[in-house]
Parts: sequence; structure tokens; C-alpha cells
Amino acid sequence: MGALPPLPSRREVLDREHAAGRRVAAVLPYHYPRPLLRACGFHPIELWGPPGVPRDEGGRHFQAYTCDIVVRATSFLLRGGLDGVDAILVPHTCDALQGLASVLGDFVRPAPPVLTLYLPRGRRPADRDFLAAELRRLGAALSGLSGITPDGGAWEKAFTAEGTADTALAGLYARRPRLAAGDREFYAVVRAREYLPAEEFAALATALPEGEPPAGVGLMLSGIVAEPPELFDHLAAVGARVVADDLASGARRLYPAGEEGDPFARLAAGLLGGPPDPTRGDPIAARASHLRQQMEAAGARGLVVYDPKFCEPELFDVPLVRKHLAAAGFPVLHVEVELTGGLSQQTLTRLEAFVETLR
Amino acid sequence: MSRLGHLVGYRLVGRPGLRLQRQREERRLEKDSAGPGRPLAPPLRSIARMREMMSRHYLEGRHVQGVRPVAWVTSGAPTEILTSLGFFVVYPENHAALCGARRRAQRLCEAAEDAGYSRDICSYARTDIGSLLSGDTPVGRLPRPDLLLCCTNICQTVLYWYRVLADHFGCPLVLVDTPFQYGEEPLPHEVAYVRRQLEAIVPAAERAARRSFSERRFALVVARAKEASETWLQILERARHRPSPLTAFDSFTHLGPIVDLRGEEATTAYYREMLAEVDRRIAAGVGAVRHERHRVLWDNLPIWYRIGPLSQWLAARGVNVVASTYANAWGELAPLMDPADPFESMARVYLHPILNRSAGQKLEAMRRMVRDYSADGVILHSDRSCKPYSLGQIDQRDGLVNQVGVPALLLDADHNDPRAFAEEQAAGRLEAFVEMMDG
Repeated sequence: MGALPPLPSRREVLDREHAAGRRVAAVLPYHYPRPLLRACGFHPIELWGPPGVPRDEGGRHFQAYTCDIVVRATSFLLRGGLDGVDAILVPHTCDALQGLASVLGDFVRPAPPVLTLYLPRGRRPADRDFLAAELRRLGAALSGLSGITPDGGAWEKAFTAEGTADTALAGLYARRPRLAAGDREFYAVVRAREYLPAEEFAALATALPEGEPPAGVGLMLSGIVAEPPELFDHLAAVGARVVADDLASGARRLYPAGEEGDPFARLAAGLLGGPPDPTRGDPIAARASHLRQQMEAAGARGLVVYDPKFCEPELFDVPLVRKHLAAAGFPVLHVEVELTGGLSQQTLTRLEAFVETLR
Repeated sequence: MSRLGHLVGYRLVGRPGLRLQRQREERRLEKDSAGPGRPLAPPLRSIARMREMMSRHYLEGRHVQGVRPVAWVTSGAPTEILTSLGFFVVYPENHAALCGARRRAQRLCEAAEDAGYSRDICSYARTDIGSLLSGDTPVGRLPRPDLLLCCTNICQTVLYWYRVLADHFGCPLVLVDTPFQYGEEPLPHEVAYVRRQLEAIVPAAERAARRSFSERRFALVVARAKEASETWLQILERARHRPSPLTAFDSFTHLGPIVDLRGEEATTAYYREMLAEVDRRIAAGVGAVRHERHRVLWDNLPIWYRIGPLSQWLAARGVNVVASTYANAWGELAPLMDPADPFESMARVYLHPILNRSAGQKLEAMRRMVRDYSADGVILHSDRSCKPYSLGQIDQRDGLVNQVGVPALLLDADHNDPRAFAEEQAAGRLEAFVEMMDG
């Protein structure tokens, strides 16, 4: 981690934002409108579990067959991990997150208000128009909490700051073949977008130095979230490196800049402009084609689909993604993990065996 | 050849054969007096007609290719548009349930798992994908779809599943996306969104059917669907009578036509007949469970492969499962349907199923049903395969126990995969539940 300055923790960022007089929203995965939150006076800090938090408290509200992110996020909340946040935003990503928002809103009723955002499952004009209206509704709720209704100038500042950070993220991915950083450092920076203010993230991402990239068999990583970070150490140890990704916590959130005048329409166009994604209703063949193009461009030799247990949107796609990519000569390994904070020996062995077959 | 097959195999030979079969079954049911030792009353005679209707439907499916346009749809989909255009409609969920009830689901699930589909995905989807890949089905053959219609008002799972079907068949997939209802009433932008998508079905369906949409015909189908749904609701509400003339297990069995054939004249007629039969039972003082001691509400999908044994087991202990949130779902929305304003009213109807509403609203629905059906307890089927129905049940159970004051049991199972059902453990938990109601 030599190339990176020490990064603050999410809790430190939360305290810092509060000290600066800004509100903080805890945001569940994974598509949401950053400029809107910013314009309405909120700083988003994302919650992907967190890994390692015991399932116990969450298990009192959700069955054993429920996604780890949902159960551990509930545990985290009930253990006081979200104390101090001013709102919880749950985008409608899947049935499990729908259940989380519903249970939090109806039964757990945490102190911070629970806000929801329905994400349409298409990219048709009707979806774009609906999303714009849905974002307007969310904006009104955020403004109601913060007392801040953005004017034209505030919108422009928010779009500019978040747009700069998005450009820096896209630039990070574009510079990847020339970066000296290993995968662990690279993803530490990518994931800093989940909690750092946009300006800090942009500075961090653009400062990552170029140089001789680490050697190794090229892999593409798909799925939800690459936890724990030791995953990358293990991949490096067995002679592999990640050269591209299709992670929900990564490249699936490379949004194009929307250009329409109305801020809500602009936000909607941006959110719906990302790459093919199983949670958006895109055809599986379109997703497979996108993966193939990315792998060819980056020189990846195989795909690892890396998911938390019980992730239905991912599970349905895997057999056909495997079939389509096999036709293009790319093998696929599907790995399911529990977000315990560690990796099982079985997972390590499977990854190692997969990498060996690619040499 | 396909028209000839339809004419001979379905119209001239198949339908009369099924009619004879139904008449034989009706005679047999008339003689079935169910001796005093049996805990359940004889089945409703209407079951013979229901079987005839469903068998006729699947029989036509074997011969329909090239004769009528074919659509595969989700159980919450707005089929009235398709029905008005003459589509033959296939419900993969209903087909999967049929496989489950006939104990064929496990091997079909395993066929899907062999092809890489995880055991953690919905067992309806696995059953149908397994059937698709293996060609194994109890109905002979399902026709290939010309169109897929997927509505997300029951879960997002159906969209993942229909994307797989679209990839397999290479036919158009039309989506009706229905924003989840965290609040009590849909918001104007949500209704407008769904309405716009409903209207967009029309040109896609016209292309697949190669015929023009008729608003008059559409309004007629909506009116029939409304009447059938209203009659279905009246049938279910007859279970408020004590003793109840039917069980929720009866309603699971008789659900087929309202799901698959809603909007057809024969369906409306069938439910009118069934209602009359249920009323005759009430007049004669016949209860579906011989010695009804406890009345119970069922939440979530049925356990299709255990309907008979579970129904017998509970009846033997004087327990009548009088109502279910599941069967109710096809009746409770009938009042919202308006043939005079079909698109707008359908937008509201299709946004509103219980599965598209929050866990708190579902608890409220259960609270009302406990009151209306005088239920002494609630069985919440914690269905491994149906996450949107099941997530929230732990808090709902606590609410039923602590706020409503009735015993409530979380029963772990799966609607179609018997490998997720532990018979002995379930029996033990059900015994304890019945004891609690005994007080």
C-alpha cells in the first residue's frame, strides 16, 4: 500500500462531515444520485454490509437464506454502527434490499429516517421519465430533512463536483494498464468513492502514480463486491491480477454525464446510462457481450464472478454468461462467499485452481 | 398440419374426451359420502370441472402452435390485453406448481441445477427451466412463446427468470415494471409509469399476434376478469362462515382458472357454479373439516408437494386453514378494476398485489383477515424460494403474537422443492402450534 496516503475510515469521514455542518446519509447498494444528495445538503457514505459484522442481530429480523449485505447491515444498525447518520437511503436494487427497506421502515424504525428510491428495470423513455419523477420525490424528502432546496447555482456546483469525481473514477479505470498500483491499492481507491467527499476522491484517484504494472495472468472480476481486500493479495500470490471489472461496487457505476437541462432528467439519464447490469433488466446476451468486449480490451483470460450468498440477480445470469463467454473462449469461475471478513480455504483453492488453468 | 392437429387432437377428440372424464369424476364424487372416520368432507364437486378446464387448457397448448399466438406470462401480469387479442397464455409458475403437486418438481429442479442454476434460486424457476431443458413435463408439451410478458409486481425474480427465457427462445420480452409500494397508495408518477407500460404492450402484442387491438373487446375481457375475480373473492369470503365450507387448500387447488384463464367467459361461469356449490354446503351445514375446532390463516405460497398430507394432518386435529393471503391476492383487487377506464384502473390493480406492498401493509392485511375469518392462529410459510413474500415474516409473526394476540408459527419449507422441507421438524412445530391454540 506504499503508493497510497492513509485513508480515513467511514466513521472518521462521518464525524468530519458533521463537524463541517453537513448531514450524512448511509446509502445501501448501489445506484443512487450523488449530485442530488449533495445539492440537498447530504454526504453519502455507502454501506456494503459491512463485512465481518456478526449476523446475530440481523438474524432476528431476516431468515437464514437472506443476503449477507442485508442481514449484516441490519446488525450494524442495531449495534449502533449508524449512530449519527441523518438518513438511510435504500435504493431498490433487488428483492432483498426491498425487504430491508420495508422491515426498517415498518418494524425496526431506526432513529434516522429510511428513504427509498425505486430504480426502473429498463432504459426506455418511460423508465427515464419515471426515474426523473422518482428522483424529484426523493429530492423533496431530502430537502424536507435538511431544509435545503437547491437553486440553479447549487445544482451546478453539485453536478460539477460529482462529475469531476466520476471523471476521475473513469480516468482511474482508463489508466489502469499504466498504473504501478496492485489490485488491492487500486480497489482501495475505487472504493474510497463510497465514502470520501467528491473533491478528496478526485484528488486521490488522479494522484495514483503510473509505472510498471504488476505482472500476472489477467482476470476480469464480476459480481457485487470484492470483500475482503485480502482476496487481491491471494490472487497476486497465485500469479493473477485483475485487469477489468464488472463489479456493482466498481465499474458498473461508471455513469456518463447527463446533459439535459432539468436536473432530475439529467440525473435520470446519467443513472440509466451505465453498462449492462443484471439488476436493471438488461438482456443477458448484452451483459455477456459487454463482458467479452471488456475482457478482450483488457487482455483478461478468464472471468471470476464473485458474489455474496443468495444473490438472485447474479445467480440467474451465471449459466448463460458462462455459455456465451465459453463460445468466445473465456472460462468462468463462479464464487459465492459469506461476508465474514475472511476467505474460506475452499474459495482460495478454487481461485488458485482456476488461475492455474489460465496459464 | 398444425391447424389439423388443433382441430382433431384438441377440438374433435380431446375436448369431448375430457368432458367424459369430468362427467365420470362428477359421478364418482357424488357417491363419495366420506365416512365419519375421515377428517375432511368430500372434495367440492366443482373440482371435476376445474380439472377439465385446466386439462383442456394444457391440451390446447399441445396443439396451439401456429394456430393462435402464444405468450408466456408471469402470474401477476396484465393478461387481459393478450386475451383480448386471442393469445394462448402460458403461466410457467402455474406449470411449475402443477409439477410440484404431481411430485415431479425435484427432478426438474435437479435438471436445472445440472445446467448450472443454483439451488438458491426460486424453485418455480428451476422447475420450469429444468422442464425446458429436459423436455420433461406432466402436460405433454408447452408451446413455444411468440412473446414473453413479465410484470415485476410479484418479485424481481420473474425478470431474472424471463431474461433467461428470452435468451433461450429469442423472442421479445415485454416488461411491465411496477414500483414497490412502501406507502399505502400509489403515487401519481407510479400510476402514470405503469399505465404507459400497459399501453406499450398493445403494439408489441399486435405485432406478435398479427392482428389489431380492439378497445371494445378489451373492455369486455376486463369486465369478465373483474366478474371472475369478484366471484372468486366471494367464494373465499364464504370461509368466514363457521364451520367453513372450504379450506385454503381447496382454494389453492381451485386457483388455476383465475390465474390462467381470467377474462374468459368459461372461467366466470365456473366460479359462479363453484360459489353456488359452496352456498349449498353452508345451507346444509357441511364444514370442509368435519370437526372444526381451530381456524387458521395461511401466509405465503402453498407447499405444493405436501398439500394433501398437510391438509389431512391438520384436519385430523380439528384445524381448518380457512384463508390465505396467497389465494386472496387474485380476489382482493377486483373492486379496483374498471372496464370503463381499463388502462388507468389496471395500472392501479397491477401495482397493488400484496407482494408489491410493504411488510407492514402485509401485516395489516393479515390482521384484517384474522379478524374477518375469526382465525385462532396464523401459519407463516417461510418459503426459501420466495424471498419477497418471506422477508419480513419474522417481524410479522411477532406483530401477530404481540399485537393481534394470536399464536403464529413460522414454518420453514419451499413451495416446490421438497428437499427444503424437513417433515419431522415441521410436524413437531405444527404439534406445538396446535397445542398453543388448544390453550
